[in-house]
Amino acid sequence: MSLHDMNPTVKFLTLTFVMFGLALFYNPWTQLVIVVGTVLIQWMATNVSWKRWLLFLIPFLITALGTFWTTLVFGKDLGGETLVTILSQEVTIEERDVAIALSLRVLAFTVLSLLFMLTTDSKRFVMSLMQQAKLSPTIAYSALVGFRFIPLLKRELQQLQYAHRLRGVPLDTRWERLRHVPKLLLPLLAGSIRRAERVAFSMEARGFTGGKRTIYDRVEVKSSDFIWSGVFFALFGFAIWAGI
Amino acid sequence: MLKSWKLKEVVLVSVLSVVFAVVYLLFVHIGNLWAGLIGPIAYEWIFGIWFIVSIISAYIIRKPGAAFISEVMAATIEMLIGNAIGPRIILVGIVQGLGAEAVFAMTGYRRYELWVLMLAGFGSAVTSFVYTYFMSGFAMLEPGYVATMFGLRAVSGMVIAGIGGKLLSDLLLKTGSLRGYAISRSGNVHG
Repeated sequence: MSLHDMNPTVKFLTLTFVMFGLALFYNPWTQLVIVVGTVLIQWMATNVSWKRWLLFLIPFLITALGTFWTTLVFGKDLGGETLVTILSQEVTIEERDVAIALSLRVLAFTVLSLLFMLTTDSKRFVMSLMQQAKLSPTIAYSALVGFRFIPLLKRELQQLQYAHRLRGVPLDTRWERLRHVPKLLLPLLAGSIRRAERVAFSMEARGFTGGKRTIYDRVEVKSSDFIWSGVFFALFGFAIWAGI
Repeated sequence: MLKSWKLKEVVLVSVLSVVFAVVYLLFVHIGNLWAGLIGPIAYEWIFGIWFIVSIISAYIIRKPGAAFISEVMAATIEMLIGNAIGPRIILVGIVQGLGAEAVFAMTGYRRYELWVLMLAGFGSAVTSFVYTYFMSGFAMLEPGYVATMFGLRAVSGMVIAGIGGKLLSDLLLKTGSLRGYAISRSGNVHG
């Protein structure tokens, strides 16, 4: 019963519910329990690469830190006993707790999101949205076309770079190439728009209509999906209790 | 809502969403690094970037839903290619898309002048700010600081998304690749 097999729509709704619920709580313990619990679930029920996980997590660790000190400095005056004075700002125990809670909340959101992202296959998610959430097939298949464009775009970007270099744009160092990317956006977009039009025509030529269709690639809702939902709701309940 | 759409318009929106999802993600990381240094206010002045696909799609296709669908799609793709804000980003997309869509709806999907596009950028700024206020716990920050954040985001929405979106679309129009879409039939073609 790995989390990878959970129905993507059910997973999405469950985690979204928990995240919205979390926004109502300002207690550090609630957030901390969610962070620890989510990492534990990930450890026990998934085979996510921790290296990849950490790589995605780092930018948000920085954000959490930024949230922590801005809440301390720019936070509302909550009164109470002064703990320390930073930049001529008096920080009370209550204010420190709110700052810790807000920055832990950033982390809680991040670990929940990463859990979803790293255990969900894009194609299966779109298919599940179409089958369970009544997403229009036209949008679903257009989105899948969009995904197929990602490697094409990468290649096209490289071709454009070669073309520009031929015309004498200095693109030798990594920094020069990076700085030149905004100038490639326009030709990249123009090319993609033309290709999108061709793809749409060929979809129609092969008989694609947005109407009723039969499904080969079935994504189903199983009873284990609800057990998983239950696990996350229980964790959320425990987190609220820990905060009281 | 999709009844009046041609397939090529849906595919176009999807491809624009992919391109801008990548751009969005790039700016999330720029914003994150900034935010670590100067706090959440770092995102505010570049926030308009994250509304731009709404404006461009609506301006090119000129049909109900273009602003909304493109933003939601871009957000979804952004989540799947590596934004660790995760499922929440789709809700952000919905909220932002609704703001711009509401402005276009108020004009009856008939006016696409610069001021309408700027107003649409402003619309996204308003709805997205209400969302961030709630989700990031801005109620715990000083009201003056929060007001500054909102002001920056509103200006950014109007300038980067509104003016920037129009400029980029007009440049694309000149390349001739938009010949099959509503934008090229608007008599908006200048030189």
